[in-house]
Amino acid sequence: MQRMLSRRGFLKVMAMTAALFSSWGKAALAAGSKLKPWLAPSLPYKSVKVGNVADLTVNKPVTFNYPDANTPAVLVKLGKPALGGVGPQNDIVAFSGVCTHMGCPIQYQGERFVCRCHYSMFDPAKAGQTYQGLASTWLPQITLTVDKKGDIYATAVNGLIWGRAKNI
Amino acid sequence: MSILPRFDQVPLPPTSATEYNTVCQFCNVGCGYKVYVWPVGEQGGLKADENAFKVDFTKPQAVLKGQSYTEAMHSTTVGKDGREYNIVIVPATNSPINQGNYSYRGGSNALTMWSLDRGTQDRLTYPLLRVGDQFQAITWDDALALMAGIIKGIRDRDKNDDNIAVKCYDHGGSGAGFEDNYGAGKLFFTALSVKHIAIHNRPAYNSEVWGSRERGVHELNYDYSDARLADTVVLWGANSYETATILYTQHILENIQGSTVAEKKKVFDKDEPAEAGYLIVIDPRKTSSYTVAEAAAKNRVLLLQPNFGTDYILANAIARVVWERGYYDKAYLEARTDMKLFEDYKKKSLKLDVKYDEFMAQAERITGVPKAQIEQAADWIAKPKGNKFKRRTLTIYEKGIIWNMKNYDQVAALVQLAVLTHNIGRPGTGCGRQGGHQEGYVRPPSPTPGSIYNGGPPVNVDKFLTSGKGKFYWVIANDPYLSTPNNQIFRKRIHERTKKLTRAIGESGEPSTTQGRIDAILKALYADPDALFMVVQDIYMTETARDAHLVLPAAGWGEANETSINCNSRLLRLYEKFMDPPGEAKPDWEIFKLVGEEIAKLYRAEKKNDVAAKFEFGKNWKTDEDVFLAGSEEFADNQVSEEDEAKLEAENYKGVTYAFLKQVGQEGIRTPVRLDPKTKKLVGTLRRYTVKFGTADGKFKWYGTDDWEGYPAEVAKYLEGNKAKEYPFWVTTGRVQHLWQSTYHDRQLPERVITHPLPYAEINPEDAKKLNIESGDLIEIFNEEGNAIYMAYVTDAVKPGSIFMVMYHWRGTSNSLTTGYTDPKTTIPWYKGTRANVRKVAGAIPFIKQTASFLQQNKFS
Repeated sequence: MQRMLSRRGFLKVMAMTAALFSSWGKAALAAGSKLKPWLAPSLPYKSVKVGNVADLTVNKPVTFNYPDANTPAVLVKLGKPALGGVGPQNDIVAFSGVCTHMGCPIQYQGERFVCRCHYSMFDPAKAGQTYQGLASTWLPQITLTVDKKGDIYATAVNGLIWGRAKNI
Repeated sequence: MSILPRFDQVPLPPTSATEYNTVCQFCNVGCGYKVYVWPVGEQGGLKADENAFKVDFTKPQAVLKGQSYTEAMHSTTVGKDGREYNIVIVPATNSPINQGNYSYRGGSNALTMWSLDRGTQDRLTYPLLRVGDQFQAITWDDALALMAGIIKGIRDRDKNDDNIAVKCYDHGGSGAGFEDNYGAGKLFFTALSVKHIAIHNRPAYNSEVWGSRERGVHELNYDYSDARLADTVVLWGANSYETATILYTQHILENIQGSTVAEKKKVFDKDEPAEAGYLIVIDPRKTSSYTVAEAAAKNRVLLLQPNFGTDYILANAIARVVWERGYYDKAYLEARTDMKLFEDYKKKSLKLDVKYDEFMAQAERITGVPKAQIEQAADWIAKPKGNKFKRRTLTIYEKGIIWNMKNYDQVAALVQLAVLTHNIGRPGTGCGRQGGHQEGYVRPPSPTPGSIYNGGPPVNVDKFLTSGKGKFYWVIANDPYLSTPNNQIFRKRIHERTKKLTRAIGESGEPSTTQGRIDAILKALYADPDALFMVVQDIYMTETARDAHLVLPAAGWGEANETSINCNSRLLRLYEKFMDPPGEAKPDWEIFKLVGEEIAKLYRAEKKNDVAAKFEFGKNWKTDEDVFLAGSEEFADNQVSEEDEAKLEAENYKGVTYAFLKQVGQEGIRTPVRLDPKTKKLVGTLRRYTVKFGTADGKFKWYGTDDWEGYPAEVAKYLEGNKAKEYPFWVTTGRVQHLWQSTYHDRQLPERVITHPLPYAEINPEDAKKLNIESGDLIEIFNEEGNAIYMAYVTDAVKPGSIFMVMYHWRGTSNSLTTGYTDPKTTIPWYKGTRANVRKVAGAIPFIKQTASFLQQNKFS
């Protein structure tokens, strides 16, 4: 369904997207907004190594815990460029493993995350947006960075993990 | 990074926050919600005794059981006192309907509230007057004087109200309810005598289900618990996973997964078998209501995909199988139904004169549903359990039936199948609407009594207007530029007609006084009979408002007290006011009252005090509760026995007060409410028609449906000769999970606009391949009625040769393609069937391709 863009084309589109969203983001959250203090990342997240680029296989998810030892998260190489993706193909993303609807575990199922409790589905290539189902909040996306050795680090959570008033 | 503002903490309501009870503003299900309001700058602590939820947030909550409180459930607003407030809206764990569960739409209730921190800042806040090509702010005084002056001017000249056309909601929820409906009814039916009035989503003032009501069955007759108790649930033309999400996931899904067997055992007869339920989905599309069930309980779900318009033939065929196999109770039929009329049903619907094999071959040919599936459906609906116990089947239908061709016969066929199998009035049964909105109808008698069999059909107000009749058009809380059929012509004509008036009054500068403007408008309206004055009353600028002359700002959900019932249980609850309307916006009932009073002043000035008195209907309405109580006077005396509930209006709430509703909270009370003759207490009605039907003699009135006569001329033209080649696709239309009773708000919310940037059309992979179309591509769908540029969405949800178009998206309406056909018996349109062609316009817009998801929405496993 989704044709791959060339890397150059992708970067061009990503730059355009970023420019558009930065102005959109401002419109959505007014300059003097009272919501600012809670805007992610607002908390002191630790940087945690979650894998290496060389160890990942397309569509083979790796689970880890973040932002603390009891909280499931999923790292996955999608094989196609993704919003917020890292690595040479911009296709490595990570998300909270907890459904934002009522806290059930989500499963990666070829291209998509599915929650088996009420069948919410999230698109990992599109910032974890709910494209079907009940979850009115997108899946929290975990900010990733990659160092020269190809080690991948989780550094923050964008979005509230279900069942909490603050992520940490 | 994130493409949207995301939050990783949310403020907890402090123990000092004010707590309110309410019900979701959106769909028919009517999930309970709690609202907390407190000043910005304060917040509660994580410990249970430090926050208003009384929940310990120092540790994660229990999955599925905890209080959901997400990023989308918090916002801020500004009160009339000039102070900023936090608003938190969370699903009520003590609501019997949702039990803490919530949908995509309800979970975002907070995001939709008027806020200077959110996209919803764009609400209408004061009346706007068109001056030439601009809208300019005016006072309520001037707006009301203008309305009154023009309405009275038309009455004085015409000596009647036939040139006043209205399009107004009749539902509850969504910021409406009994109060607003009663205000509308008093102005339009008691003070004025408006004949040319249409309901929000259709061209006339009519019931969508006269085919059921005229049999003695009101369409809201079951309880949500019946969805948990049924042996079989039938979803017929109702994609409930997407349009009654919590009824489906919290009740129907639990039933077919076997979680409700213990509840069944408690209610069923002694020794009656109780097991996990079955689900039959009847829809031309492979909807998510089917595929979710397939993923959750594979062998307990059946999909029937009838050809367009043939559902009533299918219902009659299932009934014929029931007859052949003896799955009915003769004693019940004789005791509870009109056996004289039953002969008509046997002859015309069951066609007992035609041999079974011949009948079934014909049914198979017309409907396209294999005989074996029809027979299997009959078994699942009515085959006795253990040869002794009647099966319990709940049939829920909605727009796939209602907005089908031949509305009257479709609805009648379904309810008759239910009565034939005694699937009404017992636990686990029922046959009724899923519902769109919630309900809340109370008005003085309306101008149309019923279908063609009962004094109808009602006037088609769209056609009245497009043919150049009427002078004053008042559109209240709906958007006909998206919602009415044959929309391209409708938009064009209303635009032309309103423009004629705009030009006429602006020819040499517009009069600067209100009286001068009234005089100029009246003069222009009578000089050019095609000129039209249009008022739009709403919470946002709508598509229709772009051609209005006057725009009135209304209050929305949560900005006034209101009452409504939900559709699955007729559960009446109080939706408490928890914030102020923005600016000068007012509740609809108050606007109707003020317009009435302004007209009354003009009559008093002429010493016509008797006429004036009629327009002062609202003089004792100081609060919303005053209107609620005044409305209850329209209902019949409800001091009746339990069995006589059948005689009461479905929404009868006589005797109920706001204090009563505050006391019962989320438990509510089910209408019709009775004042029990023995205990003198108010009691609700759990399910209807257990003892009698709602007819004079209490007996069900059968009806012999029409034969299959093919398609109406408006669509048949596309099936013959060259046109069959020119317009090779069947087109159906409908709603989806994320754009459902909510698009007026959705367009203000960035997360919605990203996921659904454009209206989309489903096309089968086979057809997509032939036309070189991929998901996200821009396509044009067109026929002789109109055109629409949509985004392609490739999926097996539609069969090859069919297109499904999303309705009511703000960037384009599927109704540009629908025909002007309405059922001659009821004036209900066929929104869900026409023919068209498709062409690829271009590939996907790059920005949309990068940000919107095109993953297949009906694929869960």
